[in-house]
Amino acid sequence: MSSDLLLEVKNLSCHFDVSKPWLNRLIEREPQRFLTAVDNVSFNINRGETFALVGESGSGKSTIAKLIVDLIHPSSGQILFDGLSLRETQGETFKTLRRRIQMIFQDPFASLNPRWRVGDIIAEPIDAFGLAKGQGEVSKRVETLLDKVGLSGRDQHKYPHEFSGGQRQRIAIARALSAQPDFLVCDEPTSALDVSVQAQILNLMQDLQDEFGLTYLFISHDLSVVKHMANRIGVLYLGSMVENSESDQLFKQPAHPYTRMLLDAIPDHEMSGRRRKQVTGEIPSPIDPPSGCTFHPRCEFANTKCTQERPKIHEINGSFVSCWASAENRISISS
Amino acid sequence: MTEPLLSVRDLVVEFPKRKTRLTALDHVTFDIYPGEILGMVGESGAGKSLTGAAIIGLLEPPGHIAAGEIWLKEQRIDKLPYEQMRRLRGKRIAMIFQDPLTSLNPILTIADQLIETLQTHLPLSDKDARARAIQLLDEVGIPAASKRIDDYPHQFSGGMRQRVVIALALAGEPELIIADEPTTALDVSVQAQIIDVLKRMCHDYGTAVMLVTHDMGVIAEACDRVAVMYAGRIAEIGDVRQIVKDPQHPYTQGLMGSIPSLTERVDRLVQIPGSMPRLDAIPAGCAFNPRCTQQFDRCKQQRPDLIKTKKGQVACWLYDGESS
Ligand SMILES: Nc1ncnc2c1ncn2[C@@H]1O[C@H](COP(=O)(O)OP(=O)(O)O)[C@@H](O)[C@H]1O
Ligand SMILES: Nc1ncnc2c1ncn2[C@@H]1O[C@H](COP(=O)(O)OP(=O)(O)O)[C@@H](O)[C@H]1O
Ligand code: SF4
Ligand SMILES: [Mg+2]
Ligand SMILES: [Mg+2]
Repeated sequence: MSSDLLLEVKNLSCHFDVSKPWLNRLIEREPQRFLTAVDNVSFNINRGETFALVGESGSGKSTIAKLIVDLIHPSSGQILFDGLSLRETQGETFKTLRRRIQMIFQDPFASLNPRWRVGDIIAEPIDAFGLAKGQGEVSKRVETLLDKVGLSGRDQHKYPHEFSGGQRQRIAIARALSAQPDFLVCDEPTSALDVSVQAQILNLMQDLQDEFGLTYLFISHDLSVVKHMANRIGVLYLGSMVENSESDQLFKQPAHPYTRMLLDAIPDHEMSGRRRKQVTGEIPSPIDPPSGCTFHPRCEFANTKCTQERPKIHEINGSFVSCWASAENRISISS
Repeated sequence: MTEPLLSVRDLVVEFPKRKTRLTALDHVTFDIYPGEILGMVGESGAGKSLTGAAIIGLLEPPGHIAAGEIWLKEQRIDKLPYEQMRRLRGKRIAMIFQDPLTSLNPILTIADQLIETLQTHLPLSDKDARARAIQLLDEVGIPAASKRIDDYPHQFSGGMRQRVVIALALAGEPELIIADEPTTALDVSVQAQIIDVLKRMCHDYGTAVMLVTHDMGVIAEACDRVAVMYAGRIAEIGDVRQIVKDPQHPYTQGLMGSIPSLTERVDRLVQIPGSMPRLDAIPAGCAFNPRCTQQFDRCKQQRPDLIKTKKGQVACWLYDGESS
């Protein structure tokens, strides 16, 4: 029997070495320097759910995506998929795990091999994982997949450059689906597209989720897209997850001061007259982040403790929040 | 009624190709009034940037104005000799681009660039120009402006650089600023601040702005009126509130519906089928007709011009006979 829990991310950290070359360091007597791209991040994703990661650029979203699909390795922490870690399994178990987790990237221009025909691009995972026997069966699978993503079977003979951005993203989705995954990591899948094309792709992703029972990790910097797609949302700031809430809860009662700032920053494109505060300040350098709570220099609720101690994660109304003011009830629950 | 500051009349921009020519802007007509912010919105390739480039005389050859007129108050500016156009740029019309580094010289300090621009356009002594430069930087929100003025562009963050570019654009006290996707490269929290600065400064100085963007949020935040572009033509012009809340053109209606809402729960986004045509495949009649759910025979045969209605101006046959 399978539990509700599909993906567990536990205390995940990733540091990048951003030192100058060894010889320069020696001459200039500089120490090695590290950048903390992901800082002790934990979250769970339930089967069939869409969990979203939001944050401004450099907050660590893509790094987490790459860690989950094992493109890069964590400095510490664990990622468990159905209780198993890609880093600790071998043989058939590893291969199956690999197959079940697929990724869609932001740039459908860079993620498709320009020299391959669309049919071959989509067939590759089918071959690699031995999911169909014989050319005829593979080709039938490719046609079905193209149809599922709103393209035509004839398109398999064309090359990626013959398609628009939106169509290429459909091809990328078909390729991901060809491995028969149950989990898709989608890193800004519509950020390079126009809004009307974005709507087509978001609708398609929801249809496919229903049809195949897919679970999504959906990454975006766009809060309105995230609100539309996600059941739960994790908010990242300088590599830390500052808040993890149900989507509705996050928008109704944002608990972390940074979440509130983000909501205040989104333009009111519907002219609903939503009340907002003026946003100030910029994100500091991740190489030399502020002490204590890294948000404290921009936070109206910061006190001495905030400048010195890392806030612990605490639970409030089903949300997980990393903020001293929230933990100490110094912050009113607004609506 | 006030006279328009800028008047664009039936502007046509073409790119000659080996056998044919591509019409990138097709009879574009609109006005900008003194002190207002006019938004130019549309999806990529709609012709927004070309419209800006044509106005300021920066079309890249072989692209050229094939027909139409552009008036800046009483002066016709689409046929100005190069030298006159160059003098007009910065003085009467200034530009802000998506990438602030397009407007900033990496090897000169901010002081060098601001003071030079000020002295090009205004009769100021070195001392007065420097004082004025510091004042401008302070107004656009550069902290410790009197110190930061001697820094180089690379010493500023992306958001701070765009503030410097706004100061630079305002230095010559222009009547019009054309801002092409000025916040597109920025994060939302920085974008919100830059929009505020642009709005406040242009209001204080009485400068009109043509704000080119693909982002409806930026439009709603900043603009007084909006022109919606589609396939090199203007689909609709109206007050920002009307365009956002009660769009008339079927394209604008689809566009607004395709943006996920922050206030309402929508199960499925409105979907416009297909995508914007390429320049070599613009359909006859109304350019939107193959994607339009409300199209009828006439739409395939005759191109609709902007029709004046009670709400605004719309290029759509559904409104024929409603003109007021
Ligand atoms: N390979 C790398 N080497 C050094 N720094 C990196 C590398 N990849 C990402 N970073 C840094 O890690 C931080 C997080 O980056 P990223 O995960 O791409 O953020 P996001 O996707 O949220 O924009 C950024 O400061 C980025 O510059
Ligand atoms: N040098 C050029 N040669 C041919 N076509 C061009 C050239 N520059 C722009 N275009 C075309 O003109 C159209 C409008 O471009 P542009 O004004 O940049 O669109 P927008 O700013 O709305 O995204 C596009 O279809 C684009 O491909
Ligand atoms: S911990 Fe302190 S500084 Fe950080 S967000 Fe909460 S109140 Fe603000
Ligand atoms: Mg990223
Ligand atoms: Mg453009």
